[in-house]
Amino acid sequence: MNKTINQKAWFFVIPVFVLVAFNAIIPLMTVVNYAFQETFGNNVFMWEGTRWFKQIMLSERFHASLGRQFLFTFIILFIQIPLGIAIALTMPKEGIGVPICLVLMSMPLLIPWNVVGAMWNIFALPDIGFLGYSLNALGFDYNFTQQIGDAWFTTILMDVWHWTSLVVLLSYAGLQSIQPAYYQAAEIDGASRWAVFTKIELPKMKKVLTIAILLRFMDSFMIYTEPFVLTGGGPGNATAFLSIDLVKMALGQFDLGPAAAMSLIYFFIVLLVCWVFYTLMMRNEGNQ
Amino acid sequence: MIMFNVLNAATWGDMAKKKEKGFFDFEFITWMAWTWQTAAFFIFIVLCLTAMVIWEKKSPGGGPRKGILGLDTTRGDRLFISLLGSAFIHLFWLALIGSFLWLATILCVGYAVIVFRYV
Repeated sequence: MNKTINQKAWFFVIPVFVLVAFNAIIPLMTVVNYAFQETFGNNVFMWEGTRWFKQIMLSERFHASLGRQFLFTFIILFIQIPLGIAIALTMPKEGIGVPICLVLMSMPLLIPWNVVGAMWNIFALPDIGFLGYSLNALGFDYNFTQQIGDAWFTTILMDVWHWTSLVVLLSYAGLQSIQPAYYQAAEIDGASRWAVFTKIELPKMKKVLTIAILLRFMDSFMIYTEPFVLTGGGPGNATAFLSIDLVKMALGQFDLGPAAAMSLIYFFIVLLVCWVFYTLMMRNEGNQ
Repeated sequence: MIMFNVLNAATWGDMAKKKEKGFFDFEFITWMAWTWQTAAFFIFIVLCLTAMVIWEKKSPGGGPRKGILGLDTTRGDRLFISLLGSAFIHLFWLALIGSFLWLATILCVGYAVIVFRYV
């Protein structure tokens, strides 16, 4: 079927364009403007040139929060992706178990971020929370409000609890789309369970897994609400990831210039990673 | 006196003062804090996009090819790689060398030419 070429269709795009202009383009332009100036409020700005960019690029604090951010993201990817695949493999393929498992799996995804943070905060409090109290009763010296290791442990556990389901659901969808003929062929050949996994299931799940990794990378790289509610970036700065540090700088210290420069650098890193993932995905597409 | 005021439009002395409203005072966007440098940057981006549209009209299809990195790229991809790469070149120049930023800009032009020809 031939499509009619009709340039008037562009008029229908205008409302979306206006919406995007107001919620993305104009704020982004303002951030660029702020990144080159100093302000003390009252709409008075002083030109500073590239000073803030230089300051952020050389700042120990920025390096530290960027390092923490990458460490956090890699740890949760390292846990969530294999765990998600493992859970998806053990889920029933037919019968009444399927909807039950799917609903149970989607539950954490439906809870708002700040509620997750508040829940885990109370859950993990060492004196009254179930997790915190139990760990202490079992003889572990656990206090996520004071010990760095415990704060990281709790933050990671919370993220795994909240987001592994997404990986599970995506992997499960990938698994369900495999034709039974592949499994029958494997059975005839007498393939082991491991061979079935590495030769059939994993290659077939490649696309959904790329999307899962991309989504989890982006979400965890831009994480703000959950650790903010859970630990507030503490103890000290131990769990102050990039966005938490950014908000501290912009709203806590009112350093709008450096914060704007930092958010632009943050934005470039996100863009770069997205582009790399997108390119890898498209390459896989081309090879198949 | 007017010149003097214009030159010191944004200094510590003006901090809490009410500004006089001139003819070209667009107060509704003063919060956006425009400067001619950043405006020039955005005009440059808009010009780039316009040039891409005209180029696409002249020779449609985006000139897809497999470049030296083994990636399938079109003109739009190459523009994106050039701009993002230039941002990082400028940032690392600031971090590692610090002064003579215009040298980084020249480097970026060269980088963009290489990207458009070979990537």
